[in-house]
Amino acid sequence: MSERPTIEVSGVTKRFAGHTAVSNLDLCVPRGAVYGLLGPNGAGKTTTIRMIMGIIAPDSGAIRLFGQAERGRELSQKIGYLPEERGLYRKMKVIDLLVFLAQIKGVSGRVARQNGVQWLELLGLGDWVDRKVDDLSKGMQQKVQFISTLQHEPELVILDEPFAGLDPVNTQVMKDIVVELKQRGTTTLFSTHIMEQAEKLCDSVCIIARGTKVVDGPLGEVKREHGGNHVIVAVEQGVDFVRDLLSDRTLVSKADNYGQYAELELAAEGNPQRLLQGLVQAGANVIRFEIAEPTLHKIFIDLVGPDAATAAASGGVRDA
Amino acid sequence: MRKIWVVMRREFISRVRTRWFLVSTVLGPVLMVLVVFLPMSMVSGGGRERSIAVLDVTTTGFGARATDILNARAPITASRMAVALDQLENAADSLARAVGQKELDGFLIVTDQTVADGRAEYRGSNAAAQVDMEIMQRFMAQALLTERLSGLGVDPEKVTQASSIRLDLQTVTIRGGEATEQSGEITFVMAYIMWLLLYMAILLYGVQVLGAVVEEKTTRIVEVLVSSLRPFELLAGKVFGVGAVGLFQLLIWAITARLLLTQREVLGGMVGLEGSAQGFPLPEVPVSTIVVFLVYFVLGYFLYAAMFAAVAAMSSSEAEARQVQAPVTIFYAIPAVVSLMAMLTAPDGALFIALTLIPLSSPISMPGRWVVSDVSLLELVASVLLLVLGVIVVTWIAGRIYRVGILMYGKRPSPIELWRWVRTG
Repeated sequence: MSERPTIEVSGVTKRFAGHTAVSNLDLCVPRGAVYGLLGPNGAGKTTTIRMIMGIIAPDSGAIRLFGQAERGRELSQKIGYLPEERGLYRKMKVIDLLVFLAQIKGVSGRVARQNGVQWLELLGLGDWVDRKVDDLSKGMQQKVQFISTLQHEPELVILDEPFAGLDPVNTQVMKDIVVELKQRGTTTLFSTHIMEQAEKLCDSVCIIARGTKVVDGPLGEVKREHGGNHVIVAVEQGVDFVRDLLSDRTLVSKADNYGQYAELELAAEGNPQRLLQGLVQAGANVIRFEIAEPTLHKIFIDLVGPDAATAAASGGVRDA
Repeated sequence: MRKIWVVMRREFISRVRTRWFLVSTVLGPVLMVLVVFLPMSMVSGGGRERSIAVLDVTTTGFGARATDILNARAPITASRMAVALDQLENAADSLARAVGQKELDGFLIVTDQTVADGRAEYRGSNAAAQVDMEIMQRFMAQALLTERLSGLGVDPEKVTQASSIRLDLQTVTIRGGEATEQSGEITFVMAYIMWLLLYMAILLYGVQVLGAVVEEKTTRIVEVLVSSLRPFELLAGKVFGVGAVGLFQLLIWAITARLLLTQREVLGGMVGLEGSAQGFPLPEVPVSTIVVFLVYFVLGYFLYAAMFAAVAAMSSSEAEARQVQAPVTIFYAIPAVVSLMAMLTAPDGALFIALTLIPLSSPISMPGRWVVSDVSLLELVASVLLLVLGVIVVTWIAGRIYRVGILMYGKRPSPIELWRWVRTG
């Protein structure tokens, strides 16, 4: 019942021959959070996750899980891990494989078998318990991988690019799993390079690029601090009717005029109330006035820049 | 330790359940019998009687007498063909054609010189068959001896009597200062079987470890595994598991062999071969030999399994692993073959003794030497200790390469990178 965060990463650096994969990274994943580790391909997400799991050791810095000093591998019974590159023993029976993967985490064979069968039935694979993995379709194998991650009821679930390579059905299954984990109070850390997914599922995020943290915190805070003030305005008479108002640089710093509506970024000293007053005073018939939240994608591009995002993506062979 | 056990059990069960295990368990002994006894039966002649011509150019009648001796005593049907010296090449040509048409196996040219300085010539399709040529030589030597002694006035009958004695040399192996019941021949066959069994078993199971490591790497399950297991636990469980399969298979073979040998008369009776098996001596295998065999099998297997695991960890695909495996296999085969040669030619020579001490070759050569000659306890202990040391060093290095290698994909590491893996591991 400690109040310590589930994952604390402090000042962690990892170098591989020739390049620094992760540089002086701090992370804090609170208990029960759904935490998104975001960044382009090659940003250092997988390396970070592998260090958290204790698969590789950081060159410097410290990682604490559940407030304890042991490495992730020693605590593996409390952790469910789904790597980005997933595989199964193809020649094994589905249930034997699940039991084996639970046993190496320290679960007893009998308990593992019961849980395994329950999970398989839950995900509609009840008829496949005694079949060989090879006989399963790719989608079914993915479900078996989900089960192997979750079957021992871990307190912390780490998913590396969980949506990569999933068909629409399994994408939905995966989303349901994340939502259910949240409801059960399980701490979930997942990495993705697709900002839209993180936006829907996470309550906290950390954006990294080139191995360095760009921003982190609860999703709402990140948006408030880094999003700026965006307003979408539509006027019956057409946007040009209020052209003078939109050119007021003390109010609007940037306007994207689409004719029927305009997307405005307010200046630092401007605020939506002043803008609305101005519109009404100018006699415009306002038909749409929306304070828009910036997307994570936009925040990411604003903070990292499109060049950095693509450069990192093409240079990140090792982390792919 | 519990986790190593879990990995080992999975490895064992999933391997014993495969069709491969069933087939190799059944076919192993069949193959073994073929490999051991086929060359032996080939060396001992195959028993077919050879049919040759004696091209007689002599003026003394020696050709006729030699033909009689070959016909009477050797497993050879000889027919004489007398020609004059100037017709020799023509006759030889026509006989060569007969050989080409398989009417004859060959022909022997006997001249007056043969009697004078023992020079004769044989041309035939079996000229390269050592056993045939030895027989030919032995009986021609008898014919010559008879000829020369009769020339000195000795009664040809007496010569025949005297020269028809065949020496029967009984060989008995001495172990620990005491004669055993075993003949030298059986001892040698046993040593050869041991060499062959060890050579095949260590390679067979070593390569299986290679396959297992590559499978985990190519299916990418290894990352899930090492999130719960230390790489060394994974490697140890795997090596123990495959090794246990090997021991299990050897046990099945041993029990089968024992049953076949002790019950062979019953079995022979069942297929209508009563009494035929009795002449075959039952090799006696002392417990000490079995212990030596098992110790060297287990240690030798550990040594090479570790090497194969490291090689597999360096590779990203099965094809690549097969490529990298080649040097290790050669590394393995050369000392093994040299050991066999040394065992055959000079079982007490310095080379063979050295090979039984060097950890790379000792697993395959020492059990053979233990059987063929009298190995002192000190030598045995020294050899085992050196091997244990070798296993520790190789496993340590292989473990470090494995730990880094299993998570690396893409380009194969250069020797410099490998060294860095070992150092930082």
